[in-house]
Amino acid sequence: MRPSPTPLRRAARQILSSSFTTIRAAAPAHRSLSSITTTSTGSDCTCGNGRTTARRPQIQSNQNPQQQQQQRSSYHSYDHPSPPASFTPVEESILSAAYLHVPAHGFTSSALVAGARDAGYLDISPTILPEGAFTLIRYHLVKQREGLAARAREVFGGEGHVGAYKLGGLSEGEIKGRVEALMWKASREQGGYWTVAGAIMAQPSYVPPSLKELALLSDEILFLAGDSSVDPSWYTKRVSLSTIYAAAELFMTNDHSPEFMDTRAFLNRRLREVNEVGGVFRNMREWVGFTATAGVNVLRSKGVRI
Amino acid sequence: MLRPATRPALAATRQVRQCAARFLSSPASPDTSSSSVNNASTTPRTNSTSPPPNSKSSSTNSKGKKPLTAEQREFLSSALRVNQAGELAATLIYTGQTPPLVTRDPSLRPLMKHMYDQEAAHLRTFNDLIYRHRVRPTALYPLWSVMASGLGWGTAMLGKEAAMACTEAVETEIGGHYNAQIRRLLEMVSEWEAEGYEVGAEFRDLINTLRRIRDEELEHLDHAVEHDAQKAEPHWLLTGVIRAGCRGAIWVSERV
Repeated sequence: MRPSPTPLRRAARQILSSSFTTIRAAAPAHRSLSSITTTSTGSDCTCGNGRTTARRPQIQSNQNPQQQQQQRSSYHSYDHPSPPASFTPVEESILSAAYLHVPAHGFTSSALVAGARDAGYLDISPTILPEGAFTLIRYHLVKQREGLAARAREVFGGEGHVGAYKLGGLSEGEIKGRVEALMWKASREQGGYWTVAGAIMAQPSYVPPSLKELALLSDEILFLAGDSSVDPSWYTKRVSLSTIYAAAELFMTNDHSPEFMDTRAFLNRRLREVNEVGGVFRNMREWVGFTATAGVNVLRSKGVRI
Repeated sequence: MLRPATRPALAATRQVRQCAARFLSSPASPDTSSSSVNNASTTPRTNSTSPPPNSKSSSTNSKGKKPLTAEQREFLSSALRVNQAGELAATLIYTGQTPPLVTRDPSLRPLMKHMYDQEAAHLRTFNDLIYRHRVRPTALYPLWSVMASGLGWGTAMLGKEAAMACTEAVETEIGGHYNAQIRRLLEMVSEWEAEGYEVGAEFRDLINTLRRIRDEELEHLDHAVEHDAQKAEPHWLLTGVIRAGCRGAIWVSERV
């Protein structure tokens, strides 16, 4: 009997019931929002003060952000790296400014308007973002994911991204430890933002890009952890990691323990379960393989020419 | 009783085989060997076989390295994915063929082991490349495993000639496929060089790896033909079906 499903369900119910009101109220004192403040140091808004006159933005926004996203999951060159083209420069300037307003306004269009004003654009200019407030959430997720390599460097030392592929010879246990540490790092940094963003991300039209971002995060975690499997387990590992990550994020929204200790325990239990299930499958496969080989060998010893 | 060389299904095989033979006899000039497979590749080849190691980086008009375009990344992803799937299939074909073949004709043991070892090394190379460049492996991995094992075992059960005809067909397709990839990569490299960009060691290494692997595959083709591949009955049907299957598998693996 595990305690997990009940809090999970409760968390999910709470999200559905509370996050719309949370977003509307945009309470600055909300725990999850205040923790976002601490993570928003990376974005800069130096352009806001000097320019009070509004200028018309050069709208050359790419209307298909998913297309750009897909590039990141294909061939990754070290000698000829492609720039991370998640957002166009205009989008980037509006979003990075708006991101600073998230603690006060939540992931809302008013944060976008305030950000556009800070960046020196007209109030109307956030309309270049086809997905509105969701773009701000996606910006948050993308920045967190891109920052994961640097945090991996902090945790493990080494060379982060470029060094990750040289790891090669890590043992299974070491990789699992690194995966756990990275997942915890990722969800800890997110700090329960799903309380405010989860409801928007769960809207049907935003589910595919949210899942895409989740898949990219799992891929990033596994790569940084040094997991080099390229057989069908490439898929199963990414799916199970995404599921666990989403579950842990939901759990975190309702976790009031100091330093989110309960969430970490939850995460560890889920990862252990995946290992157990994986072990059962491996044993089954080994048994089937052994039996089949033995059967063929018996037939061969009887003179059957196979 | 060799089949007449004029048979159209054999013409391509022979052409590739002759290239391989010429390559093996004159290893000093590897790049003339495959030019008869496709003459279009001659010019880029000469550009990059003798890369001046320092002149590019020291030249003043060098613009650094050009980022890959989305289309180039797409090509590289599908190329590595299909190569991994192909080498996986090749190792499994030889794994399936070896026991029935060796029980019938123990003298084939060293040859089968040699070919298997080379394929296993190729598979390791591509597994490593797929991991390093973060390319998604093919989703049909289990399907290719089953089909390749079945193909290897099935042709070996038909006899030594059929097994060798299978090798001949597969390696013919694969040799041409690698050549197409190398040609495309050389086009990329020569475009960069024409525009004054540097070319990273990553790409020169990749091209050299692909060339080495292609030559080893064509060597297998030679071995297969030496071991009576063309005495298989009916040779045209076996090679035709297997080659069509290979092309289909390549087409699918490039996408899924």
